[in-house]
Amino acid sequence: MQVPQSDYDDFRLAVRDWCRSNVPSGWREAQTGVPDEEFVAFQRWWFDCLQREGYAAPHWPAQWGGGMSVAEQIVLYQELAAADAPRLVLAFVALHHAAATLLAAGTDAQRARHLPAILAGEIWCQGFSEPEAGSDLASLQTAARRTESGWAVTGQKVWASGALHADWCLLLARTDPDAPKRAGISYFLMDMRSRGLDVRPIRQATGEAHFCEIFLQEVEIPEENLVGPEHAGWQVAQETLAAERGMTMLELSERLQNGFRWLVARCGRPGADGVRPIDDAAVQDRLVTLETELTGLRALARRVVEHVEAGRAGPADASIVKLAYSELLQRMTDFGTEIAGVGTHAELRKPLSSGWESGVWALDFISSWEWTIPGGTSEIQRTIIGERGLGLPREPRVAG
Amino acid sequence: MTSPEADVRRELRLVARQALVAARPHWRGDGPATGLDEQARARLWAQMAELGWLGLEVPEALGGAAASFGEVAVVLEELGRAMAPGAFVGTAVLGVGALGAVGPAAGRDALLRDVAAGESVLAVATGEPETAPAFVLEPARRQYRVRGRAAFVVDAPDADRLLLVAGRAGSDPALVVLDRHQPGVAVEDQPVLDATRRLGTVVAEEVDVAESAVWQFEGKVTDAVNRLHDRGALAVTLDSLGIAEAMLEATVAYACERRQFGRPIGSFQAVKHACADMLVTITLSRELCTLAVDDLASGAPGATTSVSRAKSHAVAAAVEVAGKSMQLHGGYGYTWESGIHAALKRTALNRSLFGSGRSHRARLAARLTTGLL
Repeated sequence: MQVPQSDYDDFRLAVRDWCRSNVPSGWREAQTGVPDEEFVAFQRWWFDCLQREGYAAPHWPAQWGGGMSVAEQIVLYQELAAADAPRLVLAFVALHHAAATLLAAGTDAQRARHLPAILAGEIWCQGFSEPEAGSDLASLQTAARRTESGWAVTGQKVWASGALHADWCLLLARTDPDAPKRAGISYFLMDMRSRGLDVRPIRQATGEAHFCEIFLQEVEIPEENLVGPEHAGWQVAQETLAAERGMTMLELSERLQNGFRWLVARCGRPGADGVRPIDDAAVQDRLVTLETELTGLRALARRVVEHVEAGRAGPADASIVKLAYSELLQRMTDFGTEIAGVGTHAELRKPLSSGWESGVWALDFISSWEWTIPGGTSEIQRTIIGERGLGLPREPRVAG
Repeated sequence: MTSPEADVRRELRLVARQALVAARPHWRGDGPATGLDEQARARLWAQMAELGWLGLEVPEALGGAAASFGEVAVVLEELGRAMAPGAFVGTAVLGVGALGAVGPAAGRDALLRDVAAGESVLAVATGEPETAPAFVLEPARRQYRVRGRAAFVVDAPDADRLLLVAGRAGSDPALVVLDRHQPGVAVEDQPVLDATRRLGTVVAEEVDVAESAVWQFEGKVTDAVNRLHDRGALAVTLDSLGIAEAMLEATVAYACERRQFGRPIGSFQAVKHACADMLVTITLSRELCTLAVDDLASGAPGATTSVSRAKSHAVAAAVEVAGKSMQLHGGYGYTWESGIHAALKRTALNRSLFGSGRSHRARLAARLTTGLL
């Protein structure tokens, strides 16, 4: 790093000051168990606050309103986490997945149409998975039929996080049913106000309902909303999303570090038996093991982002960091649940807008499967790491 | 990274890997980890001196390269990858580290010069942090007398000079330099399962030492002694990282080639996912090692913490990787011929040297409980 240390210190103090005057006190309590509309309104308000300061999309290129160095982003995320600032949950897909796709594979017109709109609050969701196409995503069946002005899409998508509130959707659909399954898919931008769309929430393990099913019946998508070449949607999705998976880890690993501090603080408070867990050598051993893995993860997240920015990311880098993060999150929240004891089972709601480690340990533990299953399950990540990272042979194709 | 420093290390790594691959058959003999014939060992040692590895941290005026621990780390990892024999840890890591930690003294520079030239092999009885030294130094008729006994001293059987951290009543510990053949000094060979390393028990029975052989540590003595121990801990950690990488590569190569049920075993998820887990844990090990090497090389105050993190994670991970490698190689993996047992023994020995994982985690935990997070 060429930037002198004092520059970071100045920036750190600036972010810290900003957090002090902008992070609303008591937002956790106020946002626990609120109806969906209040959560959405709060997210939109917080997005505007961050955006005004240039903190909403720091990872974007400067010409589109970002331009922070990796070192500055780390400082920003550390300070936001330390201040226990709300997270941008609703804008996550827009800021990361949609932006990465448009920047890497979109047309100039698509970028000009959507990137400023995202900074103005446009919400996105992702329509990739289908009931019969989960881990085997390439077998998706939602079909896009050629029309005079574009395509008409019919099918069903599932696990679309935030789809009820989304303005736009990143959509994968089959444009050539006769081609081999990976060669017949196209990548589209779909307006969620289109006719023929029906969005239904699915209640998930935590009791919340952020995931949705999307039913598509002859939904019209105009020509200009195709991303990348026709039938090359699989490649577009693979390239842009793998890179993006690495970028999100910079924020999430710093949040996890902050969650670790809460875990240590929790261990320092006497339990029901009057004993402080942290005085137990076995607890100390587990804590430092977690902390050591966390230190490695944070260094790795930083390295992967630097490699992505330098255009020399390894083919399995994103999978390695995602697997390491999600399994560490699961182990850490599992341990937090054990430490917090029976009391955490009486916390029936966790504050929306918080991180994946909100300090409501039992619900955090349950929601950690939202990291080990979506975005390619841990098993799929291991297959990617084995095949693309290590060059191990693929499994033979099953006929049919 | 494209700094001049990174280029130097990349070049050093390339040269080291080639040299060690070329030397390998000579020390492997009739089977891995058995045929450590003396001639081959001597040849390798001469080569290490010639390539400048022994004097990496020795000043240029004394025939060294005036490099840092960052370069030593590259060699350590490559030695581990090759599971090479030789007293590099005792001489270039601990010996040079101890000599660099004492103030200017008669004979010190001459010894550094000998080390860089490959003419002196050192072993250091570092002792454990927070523990009284195993050797005691007392004023005596002929200036000083030292006594004590330290077991499992790395590279002691090969050493011609022994450096002991010795405690003194009413004063700070000092570094005592003994000639291996001095009256009262004995080095007992301590055979261990890992035949690629040599350990020994160093015994000093009322050995007379001249004042010129008692050297004072510079700065705070406990810091200097801890740093020496940290160098040893990180050395075996880097050794383990190198072994783990070599074992993963060997396993992947075998899994691509070995066929069962009509297809390469690496195409089975059970095997593939085990290899993926090996890569993930090695990747984290590498990050932790990089942080620790940078801290140790720059003398950062946090070095003790980052060394403990690296030691507790990477060394345990390497044992797991070596064990999984044996498992995935199947029956062949369990044979003496495959050589995988040597990796398992060396990584397991590394885990026990310079503080167990548990003791390093206890050291880290002290920070948690005192709120120094």
